[in-house]
Amino acid sequence: MSLKLIYHFQTSQNQDQEFRPASYAVIYFFSDDGFLDERQLRELAKAIPNADHEGLTFLNLDDLKSFAARVGEELAVREVRLISVQDYNIGIDGAKDLATFTGVFEKYGEIVVNETVKKKGLFGKFFT
Amino acid sequence: MAYLESSKKFDPVRPGEQWFFYWKTSAALWETRILQCPVHEVIFLPLYWGFHAESSTEWDFGKVRPERDLLRLTQLLTQHGRKFCWLLPLTPAPFMPNGGIPVSVARVLSVGKSGVHLAALDQEQNLNKMFSFFEPKVFPSFASFLQAFGTFLGTHKVKAPLWGCQFFYSQDGETSSFLGDSSLAFEQGFSRFLRKAHPEGTDLTDPRSESELKERFTGEVGQLFSSAAESALGPFWAGHQRIVILGAAPKETILRSLPTGKSQLEYTRDLFQHFVNGDQVSSALLTPEEKKESLQWILSEHFGARTLELAYKLVPTVSNPDEDWRPYSVADLYSGEHVDHFDKLGLRRFLYRNYRWLYQNRESLEFTPEAIDQSQHKIKFFNGSSLTRTSFAQMLKLFMLGQRVLLDRSGLGEGHEKRLQLFLLENSIRMQSVNFMTATQICELGDGRLIIFDGAPLRENPEREKFWNHIFRYLSFVQPEVQMDDDVFGLWRIRPTAPHELSYLDVRRVNLYNPTSYKKAVSIRTHRQFAFMKMIDPTRATARSTTDGVEVELLPNGKIALDFGHYEET
Repeated sequence: MSLKLIYHFQTSQNQDQEFRPASYAVIYFFSDDGFLDERQLRELAKAIPNADHEGLTFLNLDDLKSFAARVGEELAVREVRLISVQDYNIGIDGAKDLATFTGVFEKYGEIVVNETVKKKGLFGKFFT
Repeated sequence: MAYLESSKKFDPVRPGEQWFFYWKTSAALWETRILQCPVHEVIFLPLYWGFHAESSTEWDFGKVRPERDLLRLTQLLTQHGRKFCWLLPLTPAPFMPNGGIPVSVARVLSVGKSGVHLAALDQEQNLNKMFSFFEPKVFPSFASFLQAFGTFLGTHKVKAPLWGCQFFYSQDGETSSFLGDSSLAFEQGFSRFLRKAHPEGTDLTDPRSESELKERFTGEVGQLFSSAAESALGPFWAGHQRIVILGAAPKETILRSLPTGKSQLEYTRDLFQHFVNGDQVSSALLTPEEKKESLQWILSEHFGARTLELAYKLVPTVSNPDEDWRPYSVADLYSGEHVDHFDKLGLRRFLYRNYRWLYQNRESLEFTPEAIDQSQHKIKFFNGSSLTRTSFAQMLKLFMLGQRVLLDRSGLGEGHEKRLQLFLLENSIRMQSVNFMTATQICELGDGRLIIFDGAPLRENPEREKFWNHIFRYLSFVQPEVQMDDDVFGLWRIRPTAPHELSYLDVRRVNLYNPTSYKKAVSIRTHRQFAFMKMIDPTRATARSTTDGVEVELLPNGKIALDFGHYEET
């Protein structure tokens, strides 16, 4: 199974004389079986300091990556691909059908590897 | 021949809802495809206006490419006795390449609410990308097409109604127009709009006011496309249609691309929510693999030919009152622009728990003799804060015509409040006041009931379900009680009795569907007011009569219909 996370970078804002720092918001988070349960994600986001777990928003990319790794660990998935909305949109622009659309999720973004989830070696595959 | 046989199962030219995608096949095959359409069904022709662009200002209706020969198409339809309607997109259309616009003006991709481009996978798994209608070249191109098409229709005297269609997608419980956009083209257009509307400048530090202004700008652009179409095509113009396209939302595009796809259960849930909202839907994007069994049954049985004919006013509201099965529901909710008003009062939750799928949200009150007659039995809930002078007067008239009306007076304007008091006084309406959770006045006039309550105390009251229980008990509402899981779905219909059924007041049918992969049980209690008559078309389902009513077993992807005769209470 693979996990994909599409995120949106929001610049800092001044609203009602309140400063909101730049942040990384999770837009979509899904596996091959569909979108992940939002309640579970909010629960897992609580482990990231200073994160807005209700809005699934993180102060920096490292925090977002930590969250992605945390979810991967929970679901025993080693790799999570992080794709920015900008990259996703570039991918859509170039896609024309189902095959090229699904290719967007293999071609763009960066992979966060969860080292705590062991990679299946050749022998490991025989024993699962 | 084998191709034609297999095309009955998968036919990109006829993707659903009696639509005919003329551009998806050779013009030489039009006649054969038309003959495959049932004679009695109206054919809907979505206009792929971008397809007819020979250049940015020249439009071809068959001189250059035979697949654009709309005259020949309409002549074939007429020759074979097929009625048809035009569907003119007034927003990007997800079932057309580039959203339906010419390549020459497809410059800026539309951006949805979450910042992603709007794109949808169609039946043939092509990815159709929506382009922004706020790109300045789009409207002049559209207007040029309208002029050319209007001339075409007038010259050739093509007599068929033309509907302006706005297309929507549904995601996370919210329905959004494909016109909605936050691309660079939109932002630039919005800047121009602000400069024109507020030449002295405007303060946009408040996100709410910026959002309201953007909404206003989007509305005005939508209105521009709509009024241009109505003006150019006046003699043929039949009105507007709002159509929700299943499978078109950004999240759905991702889900549909995954190995598991979007499940029957999820589609069914969406479809039933659309039913409650009174939405017209299109399954034009869905593949045969997606549109099978439960979904196909529900679409054909409840969103099929008859529903379409009513929506497009092709038949009178009640064509044969003695024979017709009509959709049956117990309540209409008129919340106005505050679409979540009745959610906040707990009414929607109460209706979902006790009268699931037996209510509908209505955008506006249809005040015609046929509509009033048809909905005589329904309880009507009005949000006082959204009533206009006209709808307020119509609401009171419904009460006087013997209907059951509930009015939430919280937020009712001072003018309406005075008119209401004057109405009650002048007509010597019998009234009783009750204070149960909130101040309530019950007014009676013959069979009519007008229940005026203050909704404000109900918003935060955790016991408010008791209030609605009392209301429905007072109104003596009679309906079989259905107990079923959340992922079993059912819709009711009603018809008058036949000559051999005179012991009944009416006959009601429930269609039950199980779109899950699990066996499900449904229990229907008749409370000695209904008699189980028969079951119809069980598919992977059984029903047995008990002393209390009927017990139903639905296997995975099973369906069944049950008829009940309604006894008069003694």
